[in-house]
Amino acid sequence: MILQTALLIALVLFSALAILLRDLLRSAISLAVASLLLGIIFFRMNAPYAGVFEISVVAGLITVLFILTIALTNAGEEVREAKAVNWVFPVFFIVFIVIDGLVMKSLLQKVPSLATAAPPGGFREVLWQGRTMDLVGQIAVILAGVFSVLALFRKRDKHE
Amino acid sequence: MSNTWYLYLFFSAVLVGVGLYALLTKRNLIKLFIAIEVLAKGVSLLLLSTGFARGNVLVAQALVVTFIVVEVSLVATALALIINVYRHTKSLDVRKLAKLKG
Repeated sequence: MILQTALLIALVLFSALAILLRDLLRSAISLAVASLLLGIIFFRMNAPYAGVFEISVVAGLITVLFILTIALTNAGEEVREAKAVNWVFPVFFIVFIVIDGLVMKSLLQKVPSLATAAPPGGFREVLWQGRTMDLVGQIAVILAGVFSVLALFRKRDKHE
Repeated sequence: MSNTWYLYLFFSAVLVGVGLYALLTKRNLIKLFIAIEVLAKGVSLLLLSTGFARGNVLVAQALVVTFIVVEVSLVATALALIINVYRHTKSLDVRKLAKLKG
Protein backbone atom coordinates (compact mmCIF):
# COMPACT_ATOMS: atom_id res chain seq x y z
CA MET A 1 0.00 0.00 0.00
CA ILE A 2 2.85 2.37 0.91
CA LEU A 3 4.58 1.68 -2.41
CA GLN A 4 1.31 2.27 -4.28
CA THR A 5 0.81 5.61 -2.49
CA ALA A 6 4.40 6.62 -3.28
CA LEU A 7 3.80 5.76 -6.95
CA LEU A 8 0.60 7.84 -6.95
CA ILE A 9 2.39 10.82 -5.37
CA ALA A 10 5.20 10.54 -7.94
CA LEU A 11 2.56 10.37 -10.71
CA VAL A 12 0.97 13.62 -9.52
CA LEU A 13 4.38 15.30 -9.14
CA PHE A 14 5.53 14.38 -12.64
CA SER A 15 2.18 15.48 -14.10
CA ALA A 16 2.53 18.83 -12.32
CA LEU A 17 6.11 19.10 -13.63
CA ALA A 18 4.86 18.43 -17.17
CA ILE A 19 2.63 21.46 -16.81
CA LEU A 20 5.02 23.74 -14.96
CA LEU A 21 8.24 23.27 -16.96
CA ARG A 22 8.92 26.00 -19.53
CA ASP A 23 10.86 23.76 -21.92
CA LEU A 24 8.29 21.76 -23.91
CA LEU A 25 10.68 18.88 -24.54
CA ARG A 26 11.19 18.41 -20.82
CA SER A 27 7.42 18.64 -20.31
CA ALA A 28 6.86 15.86 -22.84
CA ILE A 29 9.46 13.68 -21.17
CA SER A 30 8.01 14.18 -17.69
CA LEU A 31 4.60 13.31 -19.15
CA ALA A 32 6.15 10.08 -20.43
CA VAL A 33 7.56 9.34 -16.98
CA ALA A 34 4.10 9.97 -15.48
CA SER A 35 2.62 7.48 -17.99
CA LEU A 36 5.28 4.95 -17.03
CA LEU A 37 4.36 5.32 -13.36
CA LEU A 38 0.66 4.98 -14.20
CA GLY A 39 1.48 1.81 -16.13
CA ILE A 40 3.30 0.39 -13.09
CA ILE A 41 0.29 1.28 -10.91
CA PHE A 42 -1.94 -0.59 -13.39
CA PHE A 43 0.34 -3.63 -13.21
CA ARG A 44 0.13 -3.59 -9.42
CA MET A 45 -3.70 -3.49 -9.65
CA ASN A 46 -3.74 -6.81 -11.54
CA ALA A 47 -4.41 -5.15 -14.88
CA PRO A 48 -1.43 -6.18 -17.04
CA TYR A 49 -3.11 -5.42 -20.39
CA ALA A 50 -4.00 -1.88 -19.39
CA GLY A 51 -0.45 -1.45 -18.04
CA VAL A 52 1.13 -2.69 -21.26
CA PHE A 53 -1.08 -0.38 -23.34
CA GLU A 54 -0.35 2.57 -21.08
CA ILE A 55 3.42 2.07 -21.22
CA SER A 56 3.79 1.13 -24.89
CA VAL A 57 1.18 3.43 -26.42
CA VAL A 58 0.90 6.43 -24.12
CA ALA A 59 4.48 6.57 -22.80
CA GLY A 60 5.94 5.52 -26.16
CA LEU A 61 3.85 6.54 -29.14
CA ILE A 62 2.26 9.71 -27.78
CA THR A 63 5.62 10.98 -26.52
CA VAL A 64 7.11 10.43 -29.97
CA LEU A 65 4.19 12.35 -31.52
CA PHE A 66 4.66 15.20 -29.04
CA ILE A 67 8.41 15.42 -29.69
CA LEU A 68 7.80 15.36 -33.45
CA THR A 69 5.30 18.21 -33.15
CA ILE A 70 7.66 20.20 -30.92
CA ALA A 71 10.43 19.77 -33.50
CA LEU A 72 8.15 20.78 -36.39
CA THR A 73 6.70 23.86 -34.72
CA ASN A 74 9.80 25.40 -33.17
CA ALA A 75 8.31 24.69 -29.72
CA GLY A 76 6.22 27.84 -29.76
CA GLU A 77 9.06 29.92 -28.34
CA GLU A 78 7.23 33.11 -29.27
CA VAL A 79 4.28 32.37 -27.01
CA ARG A 80 4.40 34.50 -23.88
CA GLU A 81 2.67 32.82 -20.97
CA ALA A 82 1.05 34.97 -18.31
CA LYS A 83 3.63 35.56 -15.57
CA ALA A 84 1.29 34.89 -12.66
CA VAL A 85 0.41 31.36 -13.81
CA ASN A 86 3.44 29.54 -12.38
CA TRP A 87 3.33 31.58 -9.16
CA VAL A 88 -0.35 30.96 -8.53
CA PHE A 89 0.00 27.23 -9.20
CA PRO A 90 1.47 26.19 -5.79
CA VAL A 91 -1.27 28.11 -3.97
CA PHE A 92 -3.95 26.55 -6.18
CA PHE A 93 -2.38 23.13 -5.71
CA ILE A 94 -2.28 23.29 -1.90
CA VAL A 95 -5.82 24.71 -1.64
CA PHE A 96 -7.10 22.06 -4.05
CA ILE A 97 -5.43 19.23 -2.11
CA VAL A 98 -6.87 20.48 1.20
CA ILE A 99 -10.39 20.77 -0.24
CA ASP A 100 -10.02 17.42 -1.99
CA GLY A 101 -8.86 15.75 1.24
CA LEU A 102 -11.75 17.24 3.21
CA VAL A 103 -14.31 16.14 0.61
CA MET A 104 -12.88 12.61 0.54
CA LYS A 105 -12.94 12.48 4.34
CA SER A 106 -16.60 13.48 4.39
CA LEU A 107 -17.38 10.95 1.66
CA LEU A 108 -15.69 8.02 3.45
CA GLN A 109 -18.05 5.03 3.64
CA LYS A 110 -20.89 7.06 2.14
CA VAL A 111 -20.62 5.84 -1.44
CA PRO A 112 -22.49 2.55 -1.49
CA SER A 113 -20.75 -0.42 -3.00
CA LEU A 114 -23.09 -1.88 -5.60
CA ALA A 115 -23.45 -5.59 -5.92
CA THR A 116 -21.05 -6.92 -8.46
CA ALA A 117 -20.14 -10.21 -9.97
CA ALA A 118 -16.90 -10.75 -11.79
CA PRO A 119 -17.59 -12.04 -15.30
CA PRO A 120 -16.49 -15.60 -15.98
CA GLY A 121 -13.39 -16.29 -18.01
CA GLY A 122 -10.34 -14.16 -18.57
CA PHE A 123 -9.64 -10.79 -20.12
CA ARG A 124 -9.90 -12.19 -23.64
CA GLU A 125 -13.50 -13.37 -23.13
CA VAL A 126 -14.51 -10.07 -21.56
CA LEU A 127 -12.95 -8.00 -24.36
CA TRP A 128 -14.05 -10.11 -27.32
CA GLN A 129 -17.45 -11.32 -26.08
CA GLY A 130 -18.61 -8.85 -23.46
CA ARG A 131 -17.33 -5.64 -25.06
CA THR A 132 -17.63 -6.42 -28.77
CA MET A 133 -19.24 -3.05 -29.53
CA ASP A 134 -16.27 -1.33 -27.89
CA LEU A 135 -13.97 -3.05 -30.37
CA VAL A 136 -16.13 -1.91 -33.28
CA GLY A 137 -16.00 1.61 -31.84
CA GLN A 138 -12.22 1.39 -31.49
CA ILE A 139 -11.84 0.39 -35.13
CA ALA A 140 -14.10 3.27 -36.19
CA VAL A 141 -12.12 5.74 -34.06
CA ILE A 142 -8.78 4.54 -35.44
CA LEU A 143 -10.07 4.85 -39.02
CA ALA A 144 -11.45 8.32 -38.27
CA GLY A 145 -8.05 9.32 -36.86
CA VAL A 146 -6.17 7.98 -39.88
CA PHE A 147 -8.49 9.72 -42.35
CA SER A 148 -8.39 13.02 -40.49
CA VAL A 149 -4.58 12.99 -40.38
CA LEU A 150 -4.49 12.15 -44.11
CA ALA A 151 -6.94 14.98 -44.83
CA LEU A 152 -4.94 17.45 -42.76
CA PHE A 153 -1.63 16.62 -44.46
CA ARG A 154 -2.82 16.22 -48.04
CA LYS A 155 -0.88 18.07 -50.69
CA ARG A 156 -2.65 21.13 -51.99
CA ASP A 157 -3.46 21.44 -55.69
CA LYS A 158 -1.75 24.23 -57.59
CA HIS A 159 -4.96 26.15 -58.31
CA GLU A 160 -6.09 26.04 -54.67
CA MET B 1 -16.67 1.18 -1.29
CA SER B 2 -13.39 0.23 0.35
CA ASN B 3 -11.07 2.82 1.85
CA THR B 4 -8.44 2.22 -0.83
CA TRP B 5 -10.88 3.46 -3.46
CA TYR B 6 -11.04 6.87 -1.76
CA LEU B 7 -7.25 7.14 -2.00
CA TYR B 8 -7.42 6.57 -5.76
CA LEU B 9 -10.37 8.95 -6.04
CA PHE B 10 -8.33 11.59 -4.21
CA PHE B 11 -5.36 11.27 -6.58
CA SER B 12 -7.56 11.14 -9.69
CA ALA B 13 -9.25 14.35 -8.54
CA VAL B 14 -5.82 15.97 -8.08
CA LEU B 15 -4.78 14.96 -11.61
CA VAL B 16 -8.03 16.28 -13.11
CA GLY B 17 -7.69 19.49 -11.08
CA VAL B 18 -4.10 20.09 -12.23
CA GLY B 19 -5.12 19.42 -15.86
CA LEU B 20 -8.08 21.80 -15.64
CA TYR B 21 -5.91 24.54 -14.10
CA ALA B 22 -3.42 24.31 -16.97
CA LEU B 23 -6.23 24.20 -19.54
CA LEU B 24 -7.64 27.44 -18.15
CA THR B 25 -4.37 29.35 -17.77
CA LYS B 26 -1.83 28.27 -20.42
CA ARG B 27 -1.58 29.83 -23.89
CA ASN B 28 0.74 27.50 -25.77
CA LEU B 29 -1.29 25.00 -27.82
CA ILE B 30 1.09 22.08 -27.12
CA LYS B 31 0.99 22.87 -23.41
CA LEU B 32 -2.81 22.82 -23.53
CA PHE B 33 -2.63 19.41 -25.09
CA ILE B 34 -0.26 18.17 -22.39
CA ALA B 35 -2.89 19.37 -19.91
CA ILE B 36 -5.53 17.28 -21.69
CA GLU B 37 -3.22 14.27 -21.39
CA VAL B 38 -2.84 14.82 -17.65
CA LEU B 39 -6.64 15.02 -17.36
CA ALA B 40 -6.96 11.77 -19.31
CA LYS B 41 -4.53 10.08 -16.91
CA GLY B 42 -6.78 11.01 -14.01
CA VAL B 43 -9.81 9.56 -15.78
CA SER B 44 -8.13 6.26 -16.67
CA LEU B 45 -6.77 5.90 -13.12
CA LEU B 46 -10.28 6.38 -11.72
CA LEU B 47 -11.80 3.89 -14.20
CA LEU B 48 -9.36 1.14 -13.31
CA SER B 49 -9.33 1.80 -9.58
CA THR B 50 -13.13 1.62 -9.44
CA GLY B 51 -13.03 -1.76 -11.17
CA PHE B 52 -10.26 -2.85 -8.81
CA ALA B 53 -12.17 -1.78 -5.71
CA ARG B 54 -15.28 -3.65 -6.84
CA GLY B 55 -13.34 -6.80 -7.64
CA ASN B 56 -14.24 -6.53 -11.32
CA VAL B 57 -10.96 -5.47 -12.84
CA LEU B 58 -11.46 -7.24 -16.18
CA VAL B 59 -14.26 -5.01 -17.48
CA ALA B 60 -12.47 -1.91 -16.18
CA GLN B 61 -9.35 -3.06 -17.99
CA ALA B 62 -11.27 -3.45 -21.26
CA LEU B 63 -12.67 0.07 -20.81
CA VAL B 64 -9.21 1.51 -20.10
CA VAL B 65 -7.81 -0.14 -23.24
CA THR B 66 -10.66 1.41 -25.27
CA PHE B 67 -10.00 4.76 -23.63
CA ILE B 68 -6.29 4.60 -24.51
CA VAL B 69 -7.08 3.81 -28.16
CA VAL B 70 -9.45 6.78 -28.34
CA GLU B 71 -6.80 8.94 -26.66
CA VAL B 72 -4.16 8.03 -29.25
CA SER B 73 -6.49 8.81 -32.12
CA LEU B 74 -7.35 12.13 -30.50
CA VAL B 75 -3.68 13.00 -29.99
CA ALA B 76 -2.75 12.19 -33.59
CA THR B 77 -5.58 14.31 -34.98
CA ALA B 78 -5.03 17.21 -32.61
CA LEU B 79 -1.28 17.36 -33.17
CA ALA B 80 -1.86 17.36 -36.94
CA LEU B 81 -4.28 20.25 -36.42
CA ILE B 82 -1.70 22.08 -34.28
CA ILE B 83 0.94 21.73 -37.03
CA ASN B 84 -1.55 23.10 -39.57
CA VAL B 85 -2.41 26.01 -37.29
CA TYR B 86 1.31 26.75 -36.91
CA ARG B 87 1.77 26.78 -40.68
CA HIS B 88 -1.12 29.23 -41.00
CA THR B 89 -0.39 31.65 -38.19
CA LYS B 90 3.37 31.02 -37.59
CA SER B 91 2.58 30.86 -33.92
CA LEU B 92 1.31 28.44 -31.29
CA ASP B 93 -0.41 31.16 -29.29
CA VAL B 94 -4.00 30.21 -28.65
CA ARG B 95 -5.06 33.89 -28.53
CA LYS B 96 -4.13 34.34 -32.18
CA LEU B 97 -6.72 31.76 -33.13
CA ALA B 98 -9.42 34.20 -32.04
CA LYS B 99 -8.33 36.53 -34.84
CA LEU B 100 -8.82 34.04 -37.68
CA LYS B 101 -11.06 35.30 -40.44
CA GLY B 102 -12.46 33.41 -43.39
